[in-house]
Amino acid sequence: MKIQYLAVVFVIIMLPISLIFSAYTGAQVDTLKLQISYDIKLDNATYDAIKAFQLNTINSSTSDLTNSKIRDIEAAANSFFTSIGTAFNMSGYNSEVLKEYVPALVFTMYDGFYIYSPFENTLDDETAQNLSQNPNAEYTAGEKVTGLKPYIFYSCRYVKSGIDVVITYSLDNYITIQGTANGKAINDAGYLIDDVSTSGSNVYYRGVRIEPEAQLYEYVEDQEEDKQYPYIKINGAKYYWDQEYDSGNGSWFYFMNGERMYGQDNFQLGNNDMAYRYYREAAEFKDRILNEYGLGSLTSADARDENGQPIANLTDADGNVVYNFVGGNYNIFDFNNGGVSIEEPTSDFNQHRLAVIRYVIERNLSIALANYNNYGSGSYEFSMPKLAEEDWERILNNVSLISFLQGLSIGGKVYNGYSVINNNKNEEVVTEDSIYITTNDGYFHRATERDLIGRSDIKMGVFNIDFERKGVTNNTQGQTHYYYPKRELGCYTCYVSQTSVQAIDNIYEYMDSNSQLAKIYYTALGRERYSMYKTFRNQEEHKSLFM
Amino acid sequence: MSSLGDTFITIFGIVLAAILMFAFPLMSMSDRTDDIVTMTAQTATTEYVDDVRTRGKITMDNYSAFEQRLASTGNAYDIEMEVKVLDENPGKKTTQANYTKIGENVYYSMYTSQILDAMNANGGVLTLKEGDMFSTSVKNTNTTLSQQLKNFFYTVAGNDTYAIAAQHGGYVTANGSGK
Repeated sequence: MKIQYLAVVFVIIMLPISLIFSAYTGAQVDTLKLQISYDIKLDNATYDAIKAFQLNTINSSTSDLTNSKIRDIEAAANSFFTSIGTAFNMSGYNSEVLKEYVPALVFTMYDGFYIYSPFENTLDDETAQNLSQNPNAEYTAGEKVTGLKPYIFYSCRYVKSGIDVVITYSLDNYITIQGTANGKAINDAGYLIDDVSTSGSNVYYRGVRIEPEAQLYEYVEDQEEDKQYPYIKINGAKYYWDQEYDSGNGSWFYFMNGERMYGQDNFQLGNNDMAYRYYREAAEFKDRILNEYGLGSLTSADARDENGQPIANLTDADGNVVYNFVGGNYNIFDFNNGGVSIEEPTSDFNQHRLAVIRYVIERNLSIALANYNNYGSGSYEFSMPKLAEEDWERILNNVSLISFLQGLSIGGKVYNGYSVINNNKNEEVVTEDSIYITTNDGYFHRATERDLIGRSDIKMGVFNIDFERKGVTNNTQGQTHYYYPKRELGCYTCYVSQTSVQAIDNIYEYMDSNSQLAKIYYTALGRERYSMYKTFRNQEEHKSLFM
Repeated sequence: MSSLGDTFITIFGIVLAAILMFAFPLMSMSDRTDDIVTMTAQTATTEYVDDVRTRGKITMDNYSAFEQRLASTGNAYDIEMEVKVLDENPGKKTTQANYTKIGENVYYSMYTSQILDAMNANGGVLTLKEGDMFSTSVKNTNTTLSQQLKNFFYTVAGNDTYAIAAQHGGYVTANGSGK
């Protein structure tokens, strides 16, 4: 056979192989592309949802109360579905169809989390009968409803000889203890802080004396121009003093739906001692835990699940142990363990706190996702994907939204993705990063800015959301007025672009070497944490402390 | 005469056979390889950018991992990063002057070398804030086999063209501890 014929035969064999190979590669590439595009759409929708939550909480004075929070979260869930519906519209899915593929949205909050997922609306017989007779009834018994399930706290039960308590953790070092220890009933809450010493009425934290601050002021929208008012923030609500009200007699007011509510309780004007109380009460709380309740010996091995059995070790996606519950090597209340304070990120308490939060989320979420199979119409088996370690790290340290999208067909396989977006710019939590430092030149700075060290014009520490724009809608004119409670501008080397910010793992160690900054920083951190809304507090009793 | 004609035909046949049997499959294979490498580069770029966007920071560790992942494809790349930094201060000043107006925000850009400098100065981390925009584009700087073959046969690929390119960008969504 001539060589030309050989070549032709070769081509006849090779051409189809090459074409098929090219088509196969093309299909694989398309699947991957689709997967990436779905990931991006899911990320964007999740961000839209958490942004909606952020905007609603910043502009609402009651956002930390449960019913407002539920309203804000439901609004955020709606934004999620609207956004993802818009993003997927070109692919032929609208938001109603996509609900079938979103087994759960998880909103992690300060001391617990909400799961937004479908559930069966179980009603008692009487209600079910009443509703069935009402032609306008919104619900029927046993129907599938998509909504928020009850709030789940980051709680863990501990059982040891003479001790049976439930500890609820939070995103910072605030805990609630309920139960009995050594024959005594406990119902207590507070911040766990080391290194607080008191001498007489003086309070020192890490060697820095914490003193009451001067009266706080902030801008509030006024008829024509923003005006500064003295204010006090108690249990999450800001009360302002208007001296001109009632022809000069003055009155305290707060904002409710954009309206000023005058005639509030008469609080004391003058120095703000929130930070002082924060550290002082933390020292007392530590004393109660160790001496009065005798909980100092609790270890991770005493943790129990809902059946009273010891909790198994936490593992990552590869099966490696990430937290050892069983061994009991972690002392929960490890005050001053080898020079590491309990509030520092590396303390045993912190490791244990993160492990409990992770355990609670993982457990409840996997149940919710598995249950979803009862409601889903398709044949796809929903299951909890293994979350990456770095995603867990973000979930455990921040207010975040975890969204799941499963079961969509993307060519060769079925899409199974999730997205985690964290955002602390809300009223939920005061983290160590949320305190900004203002200086006399009209700028605010991050606490870890290098150029801040040694500056003599440092003014005070401020909670970061006070620098955010707020809007008040005037009901009579229907016009929205915008204002900034704190007028300082963002510093150009540490806030706008962060070219001069020291990367640190442990802000407490960083502050130890800058005592002047430390005093301002710790005072602001204490003040803002103490002013936060706490469910545990008796609100009236707490308010009376400041009258 | 006819033997000379036969020789020509034979030589022509050998050349044609060589092209069909070696060059064609080789080009086809190297094209597919480029497709797959492009996909790898695109996936790596998207994951890198999304990681930065959701964590709110660019770290040296991440950047090196990204570089290594690209290098594992066997090509050399030019990586260009850009951060569009959001400056809210002008907008804030407008609102403070007139309470019914939301002022305009301004963006300014930081490019690869500035980003790397800032990272080095800050202990290997450049933190971004919510609202900033981050984008990365990747192009190969070497000539891939497919490009070489194309250059050899029909000289379409000039010196500036690239066979592998990937880009991705978006808003920074994180505003948290960035852990």
